[in-house]
Parts: sequence; structure tokens; C-alpha cells
Amino acid sequence: MKVLIMGCSRVGAHLASLLETDGHEVTVLDVDPSGFGKLSHTFRGNALLGDGTDEDSLRRAGIEQMDAFVALTEADNTNIMAAQIAKSVFNVAKVVCRVYDPTREELYRELGLDTVCPTALIAASVKKRL
Amino acid sequence: MKFYRILAAVDGGDADKDAIQLACRLAKETKGQVFVVHVIEVKRSLPLNAELDNDAEQGQRILRRALDCANERDCTIETDLLQAREPGPAIVTEIVEKQIDLLLIGMSYRTKFGHFDIGETIPYVLKNAPCRVMILRQPLENDAK
Amino acid sequence: MYIVIVGAGNVGYHLAKAVLSKGHEVLLIDRDAATLERIEDELGSIGLNGDGCEANVLEEAGTARADLFVAVTDQDADNLVACQIAKHRFKVPRTVARMSDLKNEPLFKKLGVDVTVSSTILILQYIETQTSKPRLLTRLAVLRGSEREMVDVRIPPTAAVVGKKIRDISLPQNSLIILLIRQDERIQLPTSTTTLEAGDRVVVVGDRSSEEGLHQALTGS
Repeated sequence: MKVLIMGCSRVGAHLASLLETDGHEVTVLDVDPSGFGKLSHTFRGNALLGDGTDEDSLRRAGIEQMDAFVALTEADNTNIMAAQIAKSVFNVAKVVCRVYDPTREELYRELGLDTVCPTALIAASVKKRL
Repeated sequence: MKFYRILAAVDGGDADKDAIQLACRLAKETKGQVFVVHVIEVKRSLPLNAELDNDAEQGQRILRRALDCANERDCTIETDLLQAREPGPAIVTEIVEKQIDLLLIGMSYRTKFGHFDIGETIPYVLKNAPCRVMILRQPLENDAK
Repeated sequence: MYIVIVGAGNVGYHLAKAVLSKGHEVLLIDRDAATLERIEDELGSIGLNGDGCEANVLEEAGTARADLFVAVTDQDADNLVACQIAKHRFKVPRTVARMSDLKNEPLFKKLGVDVTVSSTILILQYIETQTSKPRLLTRLAVLRGSEREMVDVRIPPTAAVVGKKIRDISLPQNSLIILLIRQDERIQLPTSTTTLEAGDRVVVVGDRSSEEGLHQALTGS
């Protein structure tokens, strides 16, 4: 599977490693090259500079050939917009989007985005251990 | 210093009577006039002219208490109930329209998240009221401890 | 009308001021308290400090009773999300988003933003009308969702069409003269037997691609 990850955050870099270990082909896209340092030294995929809310950048990153797109920048709205572009402009089969704000996450889930909310996940996980 | 047209702004708190008593005493010196205003804050979810029966009733109660307090001191006051998004600008408008020369506001010692809290109205009128402004904070013994 | 505006930058400020002067109720939402305070000093209590993309802020703003929701921050993504929340969570009938990147227009429309505005587009249109050849042809409007446009052409005295009836003029395909303004400003609905005169202005609907041909047909000598 070909996967494009937008946002080379800790989570983005870690996900890239996990996917490569499973034999997937990974491309990482970020507006800031400093994040690429978080990638594992064994990373074989592409690391590209570019804005995931810009259709041309996405096209250059090869979004038209991707089977999956993951939006993992620190900004909810950037992730939401990029995920919607991947889904409705480029028809990427699998799109996952991180949204920190739980109410915003709920709304976009209702609107059909596949969302992950770290805030809700961590709170629930901590609560379970108390 | 003499005051002829005094406005007391009341919010229903304990400190209201302090402001009214002082307003009455200062007005007596000059045979001046005392006005008392209460502002109903209208949430943005409602239009400004919404009919807020509960708030209006409560506002009337607050103003009636002010009237009683003034009557005990043989002072006649004129009361006004206003509706606005924020009390500060409404009070300043009232000062201008009624040509007030002294604004009096009573306040109790409040804390919020462990810190002294002065709210938004008092800083606003201190910054924007064209007339003299007196803030009458209640002594700490009353409620701060 | 109740209008909620997100973004108190230059666009938001001037918009709020203009809309207030027309007698509408306005609320301006911005994350920067100092900016709002400056604006409120001038325009009164019309500000709400907070993130216009957060549902609880929009709730406090009374967005549910807004007739119009306008997002004009300088971030396209923020404007998109604010409009989507206003539309889907608070059922605002009309949402308007400012966008800087022209490519985003179809996306915004597809995702439920009713109107997009872009100063880039406006300035571009202006530049187009200013820089194209000695213009006897002015673009009045581009008809939405089609390749058609409406243009205004002044007939010069040297034009071959002067003195001709409309049915005898050959215009590019799909072009239609829909209005005639005589030199003395009289307005006429043209028929096939109307004769064109020097100094007439004609309003024509036609394909954008045949602008050149239209220009040539009406003004060429």
C-alpha cells in the first residue's frame, strides 16, 4: 500500500516506521524540514517539503497514486482541510485525520471523515486505569 | 467638590446599599438628584430586544430594594432598567444622556481561581466614563475571609 | 439581519463597520483580545474574544440565530472549518469564506461554503479589464457555471456594422445582442431589424473563447 503522511510529527515519524516495517511504501510531507530529523535512520521512503492544504503540493507528492492519506500536523484545521481535499478532490481510498478538539472531531466524524482524537483517547485511557 | 447629578449602578450584590446610601448623602448636601440604574446583560444567543421576563423581574426587585434603601433616608431616586450586551458601555451612555457628574459603584471583594477579581464593568467605566467615578469596595471583614 | 464575522483583521474590521452602518447587528470574533478592544473602542460592544472554529465560542456568539456567517481570517483552512461548523452545527443559512488560494474555490463550494470571496480574484479581474488591448469591449459579468460572459461593446464610427441591421451582422456562434444603449442613453431591446449606429453601446452575451471574434465583428472596419 502507498501511504502519504502529512506532518512529520512524532506520531507521523513513528507511523512511517511502523508502516515500512509492514512493507508499505511511505511518503512524508511537511512544511518544515526540521521534523524530518524525527524519522528513523532506516527510513527508505520520500520526505518532501510541501503544504498538504495545497493541491499542487499534494499532486507533487504523488497523491494521485496513493492508497491512503494521513493528516498529522499539529493544527486541527490544516488536518481537516487537507483530509477533505484528499477525499473529495483526489478520491484517496483511505483518509485518516487527527483532530485534537473533541467537539470538532465529533462534527467531522458525523460529516464522514475518519478522525482520531488524541485528547479523547488519552482521557479515556487514563480514566480506565484510575 | 459638589455633586448634583449622581448615578449609582447596581447589580443586586451586597454592596449596592453602600453605593445608594453614599449617593443619597452626597445629594442631600446639594439638594441634588440620585439616579439608579441596573443593566440586564443579554446573551448573544438572543436578540438585544428579547423579552427576558425573569431577568426583568429580578431587575425590578433589585431596583425596588434600592428605592426602599433610599426612602429610609428620605431621599427620592429615579430608577432605570436597561438591557445591553455589556453593562459598561450602557452605564457610560446613561452618564452622557443624564449629564451625570458622579458615578458610584459598590463592589464586594470577590475572588476567581484564587485571585482578586474586579470583573469587566468597573475597569470599563474607569477607563471610559466622562464624569468622576467612585468605587466603594466593602471592607474585607464582611465577606472576604 | 444578524451577521457573525470571524477574523478582526483589516477585512473583518471594515466589513463590520460597513455592515453596522447599514443597521445590521454584528458580532466580530477574534483570538486577539487587544485587537478587539481597539475596535470596540470605536464601534461599541460588538466583539467576542475566542477561536471562531470552536463550537462553544460559536454557541456563545449566538450563531444559531445568525442569518449570515462570514469567515475572513488570513488562513484558508480556518475559514473553511469555521464555515463548516456554522453550517452543519448551527444551521446558518448562508456562509461566506475568504480565500487566498484561488484553487480552493471548487473545494470550498463542494464542502458546503455558500460563497467564496477573494481579493486576488477581484484584483485579477480589475487588471484584466485594465490591461487588455485598447478596450472597446468591457466584461460585465462571467455567467456562473458556464463558459459564457456578458460584455459591453461601443461601436466606433469606423466600424463596418454602422448602418447595418442586426440580422445582417455575422456574430460568432452563441452570441446574442441583448441590449442596445443609444448615444443619447436611450435603452432599446434590439430586434433583428434594429439598425446599429456609431456610438451605440451593445450588451452581448457570448462564449468567453470567442471574445476576440466578437470584438472584431462589432468594431472592425
